[in-house]
Amino acid sequence: MRIVVVLGRVLDPAGIVVNARAGRVFVNREEYLLQPADRCALEAALRVKDELGAEVVALPRSPLPDDDVLRQALALGVDRAIYLTGEGLRQADDAAMVRALKAAIERLGGADLLLTGATTLDSGQTQLGPRLAEALGWPQVTAGWSLKVADGRAQVVRQQGSQYVLVEAMLPAVVTLQPGSLKLRYPDGARLVNIYKNVGEIAQALETWDAVELVGEPLTPLVEGRGRDFPPPRERGARAAGSAAEMAQAAAAALRQRVGR
Amino acid sequence: MDFTFSPEHTALRRMIREFVEAEVAPIAAELDREHKVPYEVMRKLGEIGLLGVCFPQKYGGMGAGETGYCILMEELGKVCTSTATNVGAHIGIGAMVIHLDGTPEQKEKYLTPLSRGQKIAAFGLTESNAGSDAANIRTRAVREGDSWILDGGKVYITNGGYADIITVMAVTDPALGARGGVTAFIVETDWPGFSVAREEDKMGIRGTSTAELVFEELRVPHENVLGKVGEGFVSFMKSLDMGRLTLGAACLGGAQAALDWSVRWAKRRRLFGAELAHKQSVQWMIANMATEVEALRSLVYRVAWMVDTGQPFTQLAAMCKMYGSEVASRAIDMALQIHGGLGLTRDYPIERAFRDARIAEIFEGTNEIQRIVIATNIFREHGVRIRP
Amino acid sequence: MDASYLDLLMAQQEEVSEAEGGGGGVWVVADLLDGALAPVTLQALGAARTLADSLGAYVYAVLPGSGVSDLTPILYQAGADGVRIADDPSLASFALEPYLAVLSDLFAAEKPEVVLFGATDAGEQLAARLAQRMGGGLIEHVTAVSLDEATRAVQATFPIYGGAYFEIAACPQARPQFLTVEPGAFPTPYLDRYRSGEPKTLAVQPVEAAVRVVGAAEDFVPPAVPLAQAPVIVAVGRQAGDVELARQLATALGAQFAGDRGARDAGWIDASRIVDVRGVTVAPRVYVALGIRGDTFHNAAIEEAGFVLAVHPDPSAPIFEVADLGLEADPAEVLPALLEALK
Repeated sequence: MRIVVVLGRVLDPAGIVVNARAGRVFVNREEYLLQPADRCALEAALRVKDELGAEVVALPRSPLPDDDVLRQALALGVDRAIYLTGEGLRQADDAAMVRALKAAIERLGGADLLLTGATTLDSGQTQLGPRLAEALGWPQVTAGWSLKVADGRAQVVRQQGSQYVLVEAMLPAVVTLQPGSLKLRYPDGARLVNIYKNVGEIAQALETWDAVELVGEPLTPLVEGRGRDFPPPRERGARAAGSAAEMAQAAAAALRQRVGR
Repeated sequence: MDFTFSPEHTALRRMIREFVEAEVAPIAAELDREHKVPYEVMRKLGEIGLLGVCFPQKYGGMGAGETGYCILMEELGKVCTSTATNVGAHIGIGAMVIHLDGTPEQKEKYLTPLSRGQKIAAFGLTESNAGSDAANIRTRAVREGDSWILDGGKVYITNGGYADIITVMAVTDPALGARGGVTAFIVETDWPGFSVAREEDKMGIRGTSTAELVFEELRVPHENVLGKVGEGFVSFMKSLDMGRLTLGAACLGGAQAALDWSVRWAKRRRLFGAELAHKQSVQWMIANMATEVEALRSLVYRVAWMVDTGQPFTQLAAMCKMYGSEVASRAIDMALQIHGGLGLTRDYPIERAFRDARIAEIFEGTNEIQRIVIATNIFREHGVRIRP
Repeated sequence: MDASYLDLLMAQQEEVSEAEGGGGGVWVVADLLDGALAPVTLQALGAARTLADSLGAYVYAVLPGSGVSDLTPILYQAGADGVRIADDPSLASFALEPYLAVLSDLFAAEKPEVVLFGATDAGEQLAARLAQRMGGGLIEHVTAVSLDEATRAVQATFPIYGGAYFEIAACPQARPQFLTVEPGAFPTPYLDRYRSGEPKTLAVQPVEAAVRVVGAAEDFVPPAVPLAQAPVIVAVGRQAGDVELARQLATALGAQFAGDRGARDAGWIDASRIVDVRGVTVAPRVYVALGIRGDTFHNAAIEEAGFVLAVHPDPSAPIFEVADLGLEADPAEVLPALLEALK
C-alpha cells in the first residue's frame, strides 16, 4: 500500500508583528512550522503504516525554497520524500501545484491514499485536497477528525452540522485532516540527526525531481497576489450607547461579525 | 569563524522545544508543589532518543554530540530546572562515565538501555564526609573471588531514589588514597545490599530525587568495574568536567527565561503614568541580564564545540559552570525584583525559579572548587604548581 | 429614507426577466441551513450584485436541494436576476457527486464569469472541485471584493492568520473565477419584497455519492482545545449576574467558558480556567468579559485577544480601558436581549 502525504510550511505567527497603522508586517523571528493540519495528515498516515504496513511518501504542498519540511517528515517516519524544483515552480499556486503533484504521483507509480491538511494556518486554504481529488478522479473526504483504513476503505469521522458522523469511501481516495485532530508523535532523534547530516540510509530517502520536466510544460499560476490590506487600528475604550436592549443589539452585531455564526 | 548551529542542531532544538512545551511546561509547577519526579517525561524523552542525545547511535544514542546535549539542557532549563536536573544526572554524570570508560560489553549492556530511557542512571560520589573533598570518601570495596563487596553509603545523590544503574565510587586501597586507591563500579539498584535510606526535602529542585543510599555487603561482579581498578577518580573527574559544561547550559536556559519574563512584565506593568519598560532602573537591569546571557551563551556553545572537536576543555567547562550558575542567580534575582509582589506568589513561576537557581552554585563542584580549578590550570600553564 | 418608505415608493411589483443566452454573469450557489437559505447565501448575493453592477452583468442564483421551491422568492428579493433550481430527492442533503454533477453541467452550459459560494463545508468542497474541473482560479474566505475593470477580474481580500492582516488576490485570465465568501463578512442585502421571477428548473440525473455516511460517530470525543488556544472565550467575574445565562452565551458562540479569580472563588469555574497571568494567558479572536472588573493581572492575560467585549455595571472598571466595545450595564440586564439577538 502506498500513502502520499502532501505537506507544507508556514511562517510561525509568533515571530510576526503586524503594525496596522504603518501598514507593515514585521518578521522578528523567521521560523517555519510544518502546517499544523498537514502534520495531522502525516500522523494519520504513519498510524496507518504502523497498523497495516504501507510506504509513506511525502510531497510538498507548495513551492519550497529548501527541503527542510521534507526532512522533518523523514525524521518523523516517512519512507521517502520528494523535493520538487524547477524553473517557474516558484510562483505556482494551488492549481499549478496540482499538476506537478499529479505528475509526481504518476511517476511514483500511483498511490492508494492521499492525505493532506484540511486547511492552512496562514491563508485558510482548503482547496488543495479537493483539487487533487478532482485531478486524480478520486473521492474526497474533507475536514476529518480521525482516519482508519480497513478492507480497502477509508473510514473518517467528520463534522456534519453540529454532529460528528462516520463516513467511508473506497480507496483510492483523498482525505484531509483537521488541525489539532490527532495527538502527534515526536521525531526519532537518531533519524533526525542523520537526515540533517545527510548520513546513513535515510539520506537516500530524499530525492529531488524537476517539476516542470515532470509535467512537460510551464506551471503558470491562475491566481496572483495584488498586495495587502490591514484591519483598521484598534480603538479601545469604545462604549455602546442607549438602553440595555440597544446595547445588546450593538454587542450582538459585533459578535456575529467576528464569530461568523 | 562560523557561529551558526548546524542543520541537525537547529532541527534538534526545534524538536526539543516542541517536546518541552507540550510535555514539561504543563507539569513544572506540579512537580515542585507535589515534590514529584517526572517519571513519565523521562520515559518519553528516552523513547525519542533524547536521553542518549550525546551517545553514539550504536549504543542507542542520537550522536548529536555535546552541542546537542547543551541544547537539550538549555531548552529544559528554560522551563523546568527540576526536569533538567533529572536529565543532567542521568546523561551527564550517570551514563557519561560508562560512555567514557566502559568496555564494549558494558556499553552494550548498560549504555544502550540508558540511552533509550529504559533504565535511569545516577552518579554516586558524595558522602557525608566528602563533598568538595571528594578524595575523602570512605565507602569500601573489598575483593572476594570474582566479586567486590561494597560497604558504606552515599548522600545527596540526584536520581538516587529511582535510578536503575548507579556508577559508584569506592575505596579499594585505603593506603593509596585518591591516586590509585579508588575504583568506579556499575551497580544495579535491585541487587541485594543496596537500599535507599531517605529522600531529602529541599528548598528547590523539588521535582528531583535527592537520596541517601546505603550499601551493606553489596556484591558487585568484577566485570562491573568501570575502567581500571584504582583509577576510578580519573574516570569520575572526566565525567564531572563534561557535566559542568551542560550545567552551564541549563543555567543559560534559566537565565534566558528570567530575562523573557522580565521583558514581558516590563511591557505590561504600568506605574507613574508609563510602563516599567520606560523606567531607566529597569532598563539597566534588563540590559545587564541580556548581556550576561549572551556572554554565557557564547561561552557555553564555544566550549561545546571544543568538546565535539576533541580540544582540551577542563578550564573552560569550569568557567561555564561557575559563570552560568552566578548569571542565572543574578538574573532570577533581578527578575524577582522587576515583578515585585507578583514574583513572590506561588501561582507564578518566578518564585520557583528563584528557589531552583541557588543549588547550581553548589552542586557539581561548588563554585569555590571551580575557581580553584580555573586558577590552578592558569598557573600550571605558567609553570606554577598550586598546592591545594 | 428608511426601508418602509422605500417599500411604499416601490409598491409596484417588479418581475425580473433574464437576458437570453450570452452566458457570463455572476452566479451564487445557494447553501441551505436547517431547511432555510443560509445567511451567507444572501450575503453572497449582495456581493454578487456589487460585482455584477460593475461588470454590467446579471446575477444568477442556483439552488440545489429537495423540496426547496418555496425558497426561490427570497433569492429574487435579495437581488438575483435569474434563479435555477435543481429539486430532487437525491439532493436532499449535501453529497458531493450529485451536487457536482448538477453544477458542472450547468456551468459548462452557462459559462459564468464569476461564481460565488459560501465558505461552508459544502461550498468549499464544491468550489474547489469545480474550479479544478473547469480550469478556474479559486480564492477562499473572501471578506471584501472590488473589480479590476481592465481585466474584469475580481480583486478579493481574505484574512491571514485569522485576520491579523489581509491579502488581496485576483484571477486575471482564467474563467470562471471562483470565490468562497466568509460568513458574516458581507452585509445582508435589503430584501426587496416586490421583486420576483420565474425560476428555471434543471434536470437532475441520478448520480451516486462516492462517500457513504455510515452513521453517527457515537464514541467519538473531539480533542479538547486548551483554553490558551481557544478561539472564542466567554469569561465571568463576580458581577456576572446569572451565570447560567453566561454559559448559554458560551454555547451560542461556540465558546469556551472561563473566568477570573473571583469566579473561581465563587465556585463557578475550576482553578484551571482562571484567565490571569497567574493562571492561563489566552489569545482568542473574541473575548467576552461579563462582570469582570479587569485588574492588571487579568488584563495582561488577554492582551493578545483580537476583540474584547466587556459588560460591567461600574463605568470606571479598568476592563473598559482594554475593551474594544464596552457595555456599562449589569450583565443580567443585557444577556437575555443579547442571547435573543444572536438567535
